[in-house]
Amino acid sequence: MSEIALAADFAIIVVVATAVGLLARQTGQPTIIAYILTGIILGPVAFDIVTDEGLVDLMAELGFAFLLFLLGLKMRFKDIQEILRPVTNVAFGQTVLQTALAFLVAWALGFDTTEILVIALATVFGATPIIVKILTDKDEITSMPGKIDVGVLIVQDIYLVVVLALFAADDLGGAADIATTLGVILVMISFIGIFSLASSRYVLPKLFRRVADNKEVFLIVAIAWAFLFVAIAEGADLSAKVGAFLAGISLAQLPYSKELEDRITPITNFFILVFFATIGLQIDGLNALLAYWWQAIVASIILMVGNFWIMFYLIDREGFSVETSFLGSINMIQVSEFSLIVGALALDQGLIESDVLGYLSLMALFTMSVSTYVIAYNHTIYAKLEPWFRRFESEGDKSDALSQYRNHAIAIGYDEITERALPNLEARYGEVVVIDRRTDHIDEIEREGRYSSVFGDFRHTEVRKEANLKGADFVLSSSVEREVNEALLSEVADDATVFVEADRIDDARALYDLGADYVIMSTHLTAEKLATYVELHATDRAAFEGAIAGDIAEILARQRRSRDRFGGHAAIDGHGGDGDD
Amino acid sequence: MRRSTVTGVMGMTEQLIIALAVLFVAAGLLSLVANQFGLSPIPFYILAGLLVGRFEFVTPGEVLTLAQWGIAFLVFVFGIRLDFSNVQSVLRDAEVAASIQLLTVGPVAFAIGYAFGDLFGFEEPLRNALYFSAAVVLSSSLVGGQVLRREIQDNLVHGRLASSIHFFDDLVAIAVLLVITADAFTADAITSQLGYGVLFLAVGLLFYRHGFPILVRLADGDGELVLVGSISILIAFLAAAEYVGLSIVVGAFAAGIAIREDGTNALDVRNGIDSIADFFGAIFFVTIGALVSVPSPEVAIMAAVLAGLVFILNPLVHTLAFVYEGYDARTAFLASSSLNQVSEFSLIIAIQALLLGTIADALFEAIILAAVVTMALTPAARRWKDRVFQVVISRLLGGQRSRKVDERSEVDADLDDHVIILGYGRQGRRLVERLEAVDRSYVVIENDPILWDDLRANCRNYVLGDAMSEYPWKKAGVDRASLVVSTVDQREISETILALEADADLLLRSASTDEAEVLLDAGATYVTVTNVVAGKELVEIVEAIFDGGTPPSALKAEHLKTLEAIERDGFDTRYSRY
Repeated sequence: MSEIALAADFAIIVVVATAVGLLARQTGQPTIIAYILTGIILGPVAFDIVTDEGLVDLMAELGFAFLLFLLGLKMRFKDIQEILRPVTNVAFGQTVLQTALAFLVAWALGFDTTEILVIALATVFGATPIIVKILTDKDEITSMPGKIDVGVLIVQDIYLVVVLALFAADDLGGAADIATTLGVILVMISFIGIFSLASSRYVLPKLFRRVADNKEVFLIVAIAWAFLFVAIAEGADLSAKVGAFLAGISLAQLPYSKELEDRITPITNFFILVFFATIGLQIDGLNALLAYWWQAIVASIILMVGNFWIMFYLIDREGFSVETSFLGSINMIQVSEFSLIVGALALDQGLIESDVLGYLSLMALFTMSVSTYVIAYNHTIYAKLEPWFRRFESEGDKSDALSQYRNHAIAIGYDEITERALPNLEARYGEVVVIDRRTDHIDEIEREGRYSSVFGDFRHTEVRKEANLKGADFVLSSSVEREVNEALLSEVADDATVFVEADRIDDARALYDLGADYVIMSTHLTAEKLATYVELHATDRAAFEGAIAGDIAEILARQRRSRDRFGGHAAIDGHGGDGDD
Repeated sequence: MRRSTVTGVMGMTEQLIIALAVLFVAAGLLSLVANQFGLSPIPFYILAGLLVGRFEFVTPGEVLTLAQWGIAFLVFVFGIRLDFSNVQSVLRDAEVAASIQLLTVGPVAFAIGYAFGDLFGFEEPLRNALYFSAAVVLSSSLVGGQVLRREIQDNLVHGRLASSIHFFDDLVAIAVLLVITADAFTADAITSQLGYGVLFLAVGLLFYRHGFPILVRLADGDGELVLVGSISILIAFLAAAEYVGLSIVVGAFAAGIAIREDGTNALDVRNGIDSIADFFGAIFFVTIGALVSVPSPEVAIMAAVLAGLVFILNPLVHTLAFVYEGYDARTAFLASSSLNQVSEFSLIIAIQALLLGTIADALFEAIILAAVVTMALTPAARRWKDRVFQVVISRLLGGQRSRKVDERSEVDADLDDHVIILGYGRQGRRLVERLEAVDRSYVVIENDPILWDDLRANCRNYVLGDAMSEYPWKKAGVDRASLVVSTVDQREISETILALEADADLLLRSASTDEAEVLLDAGATYVTVTNVVAGKELVEIVEAIFDGGTPPSALKAEHLKTLEAIERDGFDTRYSRY
């Protein structure tokens, strides 16, 4: 019988990574370092228990692909549009200038010509997975510096794909050959890009509206979509992650993308862990690592500082604020693990020896570790250095547009209960955000155009962030599930007013204890009312008729209202708002 | 590694990625079909596998390994969802009926399976008979449970019943898995397997109480670490299971027991494990379909017999067993009509047996085909359930039903101008109290046998029967009643009451204003729409706070006092479902 856990390399990696990760957490270190360390411990450098083949490699590739899929999911077109031009300029300038710097450093350290060329080419790339992961965890990926960095990284990734494809091409006779291969690659990327955009406009909205209500099918269809692009990219000899990114972009425009993000993130986190471990696994051995150790450290320091200033100059030049330029630059100071890929390729082609690869590895390791801390504490560092940097302020710097809700009211679940109260909330708080996980409810809200809406399950972090739960002044929950309301009460601001619903009295008490301002208990309310009516029927028939007449008039009025609004039946059918699952 | 990506040659990883891509795209396309028709996606994943299975490259060894991880995660999630405090109350509903079915259908299926083994010359006829029998007897919680989701949510009796049976069956399946991984079918081997199983369970429980909280504490609020930690626990249990030669299912189940679902990060961890389980689970179902080749006549015959037994014999036995236990015929039938599909646990048993080499290929394929057919048909069959019930079952059990109702009711023969209350939950109890306070006579109609003792003790007049059939209403004297109050918001019930064409005033209940309008048009005197009532109250409170200047704390205090009063009077939920 095949053993799936006992002898499985990736299983060992996960377990060790957890242990090291917990240790890292307790000592305040970022978990990425722990994962890379796991790879180093388990790989040729130390114990050599696992290899990066088979399932491990598969999971690492999938992890990277899913990470870029997630990244694509976060990119809305209007976000990209406004920074497209500056980002291209920065990316271009950065590539040229950083290659030049790396060239100089390598030459100064005494490497020979071919080695210098390889090193220069290899070290220009920023470490996409590290930057994306840390910024996402810190929730800065959609801030202005984050977007600039992501933009540059994507351009770099495409550049890398082109470089690798060129390297890999069998016969690169002359300039004409190179030009043709380049042309082919760019055309293929454009095709996939166009396919992605076209489907985003015409195919996907209808497709996903049908499945968005069904959690499991929604996830599988989205994964299938990503895999489709991945397969196309692989088939066209492009890298899987470019395909995944384009797949993500096509889905980013749908209102369902937040919900999808939340479902894909755990899968990504699981696989990307293996990916980070493989970074450590790729290092051939202690000797190769230490062959050029002091040169690596010197080069690293020079490159980190140099890269920072290059980026800072380029971003600042585009008119962004000092803070944006600072943060955008300081996130990109590391040498990427791509340097290892390029290096390995060069090794295969016989252009360099394994000790040069070791040099590249050490540089990557060193800069990645340092930058992980730097990115994690980027705001603190900026705060300290701000006074000095203010000299670079200039007029007309673009500011960070924050399109978040603030001091608003949130309603979780769009049903008869919440709908009644929304106008009052709007009058008081100005802006109302409705969270609901049914596509027809969201459609109705959007058609009415009066309130903002977020499609998704309140249980998911991304959805709560999108609605800015922490900044809300009033929250109304029509979910009767205790865990949902408990999560709500723990995350919301202390001075916010919170109304929740409960089915059972113990739950109501517990929620009051946790700070709820009022707990709606619809069943008891109805029971009370019904009992009163029945009693009236038995004792005072006239009063009974009067009481129910009022209620019936209201039900009919409500139906008339919704018919006038939508020319049909209201979409609300009362199976509760968010508590449906 | 990624070097191979670069050299342009299709490295192994690339091939695997393409294989997975084919797998997922097929699964995605077919799940769209499933979603279109409102069916469960699981049989469609298997179907997807059947379709792409012809391509060899889709099932290399690595994908099979991933499929087994799918099994591990599915059982892992099952173990996590298990709530020991609920076990007793859930099993109580089902133990008799489930046991009856096990003990009657089981041996019959075993005999048929053995006959097939003999007929087609299987190597180990006894084991194969066991697999055949398991496939017939056990029903699916994944597919069946999904189909029932609404009923379970609405606390309908038959939903509860069916999910209890599912749960019972799943536990039996795990026990079976323990047994089949025994080296030989001897008493010694089996006992040692069972012993290990118990040991694993004990370790899982130990971890639940002491180990998991340590993990959460060390993770210090980092949801990702708790998630990864939970998966590491799964891996550890799996490795241990493999080391001692147990099925990974037992390891995964024990690991699931070890995970706590409360505390901080609980929602995140649950979402995380669900997503990962969905991912690997889909791979499992597609792969298992891909392992089936074009069916030979033997396979077709066995699959047909299997499906037939599951579709016809099972529901029959279940229905009779439920009726015997005291449920009305309609509830019994509805519950059993959700129980007629091959369980995904049977699929797991089959594939584990395949890997151990103890199942005949033909039987393996037959089980999978039968699973696809029965899983896909169940939701479709439910559309016709009412008609089947009218035509078949009610005729079969007709006379008996009125007798049953008579036995379990107590109604004053000369009741007149009384109130009929449908449903004895929170609302029903309140109504009874109010009517007794103003000295009006009433009859309570209720169909859940669990409440029989309560009815006997607290109600002057009651009928224990199914509100969808006529006799209980006749028994309750509906032509002489002045008012009928329904506390059940099921449309079919409301329509049944309207169809009675009684002179009495009708106070119905509905879940939506749309439905309420229809009912009012059809003749209801009044319709309670719970959310509308609550909505009105909410607006009053909101206005009180915003415009009236009442501080929320005052309202809160007042409300708490009201709740206390409700509890004192005994009107809060007594059972978790009422």
